[in-house]
Formats: sequence, C-alpha cells, structure tokens
Amino acid sequence: MIAYLLTSILIAGATLFVRRERHLFFTGMLFYGVQAAFAAAIFAGGLYGKASTGWFAFDAAGSLFYVLLCVVSAFAYFHSEAYLRDNALREIRTYSALLMLLTTAIAGAYFAANLAVTWIFLEATTLCAAGIVYYRRSAHSLEAAWKYVFVCSTGIAMAYLGILLLAAATKCESLQYDVVAQSVAGANALYLKVAFLLILCGYSCKIELFPLHTVGIDANFAAPSPASALISTGLVNAGFLALLRVYKLLAASEVFPWVRSVLLIVGVLSLVIGALFLRRTNNYKRFLSYSTVENMGIAAIGLGIGGVGVWAAVFHVVCHTLIKSSLFLQMAVVRQVYNGYRINRIGDYIHINRVGAIGLLVGMVALMAFPPSPLFLSELMILGETVAVGKWWLVGGMLLLLCIVIYSFCSRMIRLCYQPNQDELHLSKADRALSWSALSLLIAALVLGLWQPDFLQGLIDRIVLP
Amino acid sequence: MILPLIILYVITLVYLSITERFRNFAALIGLQGWLLFAIALVRLHAINPAELTFIALETLLFKGILVPALLFAVIRRTKTNHVYRSGSTQSGSLLLSLVALAVSASLTYYIADSTVDLVFFGVALYALLSGLILIVLRQRIFSHMVGFLVIENGVFLFSTAIGVEMPLLINFAILLDILMSVLMLGIFFMKIDDKLHADDADSLTHVKD
Repeated sequence: MIAYLLTSILIAGATLFVRRERHLFFTGMLFYGVQAAFAAAIFAGGLYGKASTGWFAFDAAGSLFYVLLCVVSAFAYFHSEAYLRDNALREIRTYSALLMLLTTAIAGAYFAANLAVTWIFLEATTLCAAGIVYYRRSAHSLEAAWKYVFVCSTGIAMAYLGILLLAAATKCESLQYDVVAQSVAGANALYLKVAFLLILCGYSCKIELFPLHTVGIDANFAAPSPASALISTGLVNAGFLALLRVYKLLAASEVFPWVRSVLLIVGVLSLVIGALFLRRTNNYKRFLSYSTVENMGIAAIGLGIGGVGVWAAVFHVVCHTLIKSSLFLQMAVVRQVYNGYRINRIGDYIHINRVGAIGLLVGMVALMAFPPSPLFLSELMILGETVAVGKWWLVGGMLLLLCIVIYSFCSRMIRLCYQPNQDELHLSKADRALSWSALSLLIAALVLGLWQPDFLQGLIDRIVLP
Repeated sequence: MILPLIILYVITLVYLSITERFRNFAALIGLQGWLLFAIALVRLHAINPAELTFIALETLLFKGILVPALLFAVIRRTKTNHVYRSGSTQSGSLLLSLVALAVSASLTYYIADSTVDLVFFGVALYALLSGLILIVLRQRIFSHMVGFLVIENGVFLFSTAIGVEMPLLINFAILLDILMSVLMLGIFFMKIDDKLHADDADSLTHVKD
C-alpha cells in the first residue's frame, strides 16, 4: 500500500512539471496504469483479504469501491483533458495533479483499517478537492472553495472529537476497526452515542448527507464538471464507507438500535432536502448534486432499516456511482454547448447533440429508479424491508418524496432536451465522442440492473456481513 | 498544576466571547497555544521523553507561534481591526457563552464516569460550543476563522486527556492544525481579500439556490 501511495504521489508530482499538453495524456496513462496494476494485484495477485503495514486492509468494501473509483477517476481525467483544452497549461497541470492526488487520498480512505487513518485520508481529500473547486479562480469558485475548506475542517474536527471519545469509551490501545469492535460491547452507552453523533455530523460533509450536505453541493457547482463526477461519487463513497465501518463496528454494542434510528432520521431529512431543492434550484449541476443528497439519504435509510436494507444500501451506492458520474460527464458536454447550466434558459439539446440528450434522458430514467435501473432493485428492497419491519409511515413518506423527485427530474430534463433555447450557443460544438463515452458508464449501470454477477453479489455479501 | 492552567484556558474562552478587537482575538489564540503547550507538558510527562519533546515542540511551534503570527499578519494585510458589525451585543455574547459553559458543565456532570477525564471533556465541549457561537454570531470571516481555531484547540485539549495512553492521537490532532491552519490562514484568506475585497460573511452569499 505504501508503494502504491508513493508511486501515485510521485506521478502526480511529475504532472506538475510537464511542459506540453500532450504529456498530460501520458502521465494520465501512467497514473491509471498504476491504478489498474494495483487493482489487478488485489484481485489476481493475492492481496485481497490481506493487511498492509497494520494501517490498511484489502477487504471487500475497499476493493469494490476502489475498482469503481479507478473507473470514474479515469473517465473524469480524460474527459477533463477535452473539457479544459483551451485553458492555460499551468492551470490544467495543477488541476490534473490535484485530480490524481484526490484519487490517491480517496483510495487511502477506502483501504484504511484504522479509524484515525480513515480520518487522515478524508482530511487529505479536503485539501485536494478544495484546489479543484478553486480551479476557475473566480469569485464564485473562491467562495465555494472557502466554504468547502471551512465547513469540512470544522466537520473533520468534530469527527476527530468523536473518534477520541470512541477511543476513550472502549479503552482500546489501538484504533483498528476490528480491535475497537471487540471492545465496544461493554463500553459506556452514552459515550458511544455522542461519539457516533459527532462522527456522523463530521463525515456528513463528505457523504453529502444532512446536516453538512451544503458544502458538497457548492463544491460540485464550482468545480469543473468532470471533477464533479469524481467528487459526487468517489469522494461521497469514501465518506459512506467510513460511516459504514463505524456502523458495523457499533453493531455489537447496546446502542445499535439507537444508531439505526439516527440514520433513519438523517436519511429521511436528506431525502426531504434533496427532493425539495430539486424543485427549487435553477442550475443543472446543483440539480444533480441535490440528487446525490437524495440518493445518499435513501442509502442511509437502508442502513437505518437494517436487514436486507444494508445490502440494498451498498448496492444503491455502487450503482449510483456509475449513473451519477455518467450524468455529470454529460453535463460537461452541455456546458461546451451553452457555456452555462441555467435551467430556465437553455434547451433544445436533442437537436444539438442527440447522443448526449439520450444519455441525459436515460440517466434521468435510471435515477428515477424505473426498471431496468439498478436503483429500482435497491429502492424496492429498502421499501420491502421497511414494510417488513412495519414502518408504514416511512414507506408513505418515502413514496411521497420519491414522487416529487420523479416530477422534478421529468420537468427539468425534458426541458433541457425539448424547450426552445434562449441562450446564445457557445462557439465550440458538442463533442459527441465524450457523450458516447459518458453513456458507456450508464450502460454498465443498466446492465447491473438486469444482471448482478455472482462476483459482485459475493463482494456485497461480504461487505454487509457483521 | 493542571487545574489553574485549565481555569485560565476557560477564562480565555469567556474573554473571546466579549472581545471585539481582532488583535485581542489573535493574542488570545496565541495564549491558548502556550497554555496547551504547558498542559501537554504537565499532562504527558509520563510518556516516552522523545515523544513528549516532539509533541511539546509541535504544539509550541504551531499553536503558540505560527498560528498567532499568521493571524497578526492577516490583520496587518487586511487592515481589519474591529468587529464593527457584530451580529449581537457584547452582553448577549457573554450570556450565551456562560449558558454554553453551564450546559457543558451539566452535561459533563450527567455523564460522569471514570472512562474519560471529566475536566478535559467538559472544557473541550465548552470550547466546541464557544467556537460554534463565534461562527454563528459574528459576521466577519476573521471571527469565523478564530471560531474554527477555538474548536481545534478544544479538540487538541481533549486529545491530551486520552494521549497519555495513545500519544499518536495527539500527533494526529496537530496534523489537523498544520494542514488546515496553514491552508486556511495562509492561502485562502489572502485570496479572499484579493478577489472579493470583502471581510464579512455577507459577501460570501452568492453561491446559493
């Protein structure tokens, strides 16, 4: 793991010094070659299931999400090259290096086997993501970057207080997840509750869950669209995985039913915020970000319900990664055409870029969880488990909110494709190759909706095992 | 020996809630840094001497010297001296701060248990609430920055309570300081002054729905 981290950081460092734009392609190839080799070493080279240096472990959760990260990050990197082609080399290489560093930091958070190590890598993602958010050097991007750094830092400090409290409550000499899990059974319940609340609040800025979800939305709004694809999926998954590990760690404690209730409340609140703001926003990137809040809310509800809901929550997050990254990459092409994302101004996209418009419409159907979307399966499982435990009020509330989401998606996406355009078109034409490329991620997600390979099912089974 | 230091630390938190001059903010954050350095020295005397020296030097260097120096540099550069647009009166802030102190003390009393050092936990909680109060009540970004530093110092104080068994945790807390303080104070604050020509949070409300 250390070799992987050092190699990745070195390549990112080298990217800062490239002198020609073409070289960025080669450093990108080298970086993603290393990622692919590392993924191969995990699954085919015998690393899977083993620990590294005592700080990291190549478990099912880390490995599955790492593969997804590699795919999304590679798409984001190579789309960025086309997206930022006209910008100054100095800016692009800094951006590319930060994208690589962000990928590396997220990978570190995925494989961390220690509460403090997870926390360190999540903190490192704040630094990298803030640089990416500030890419355009405008007042808006500066404001978003400032808010991102400030709120994430406060959140991360709160999460650290929670980790300290957890350490104190369990009296463990190590913060390894498995060691703490063994000591959690006899720990003071009140300390565990406070620790969980602080960790959940702190990490909510990464997971884009209530209460600190706003910074993620601002960050996605200000960052270049391909980077938003990574922030809204890979980075969100890092926070989700950190939360899932704490959730599993507390499974043996007496406070576990309380923890699940808190997750239910947070999930419902996130779903409410996501659904309501989908109606309110006038910017397509913020629109997609609120959709992330809504989907992570559904995942939190899955964790809160428990049982098969946990499996469904993990599957939901996996599929959401492919769908949402595809939509953000499609949005990058939309910006090439219109030079903006204003919902009430731009339209007629179906006649400008048919492939891109179809990608957006199919993505809309997938996010609305209509069959054959994989989200249909996950949401059906969560609703089924909710009915099974007799929480009818929750089923009613979720269905109502999902209706609002469906209405918002239909009205907004159909408007983009069919309403008469009121803005001047940007000089650059739509890059159809990018639209096709983004569509491939969506097709992969739809395939998962129709057929879940045994390999994937086995990995998720191992992730949800206590 | 530790108790007087902690009482002094609590007094700095109360004073932070009523002061309106930025120089006082910076001086109080510096004083907190020195107090934390002293607390770390006394509290952690039993740990490995090499580790203790490292932690003490880190604390002194970053919390006692670098962070206050950066704050003073920011004050000089931005020529902002006074919280002229405080969202609340001094007496209101003081009252809220004292309520936070009472809440922290009550909560600490309520969860009284031998697991954690209650004095450290109570003061850390008070620091967390004080920082949040500063962030919510004051409009200027500088006050928000100070609020964040107060929270950070509170977290560090609590880490010293647990750090007797796990010194590594204190190093992580210092890592938070180094990365965030330098980034936020050194880079973004300067950029905000350049780009936005503004020093209050009202100017940071353009990115919204």
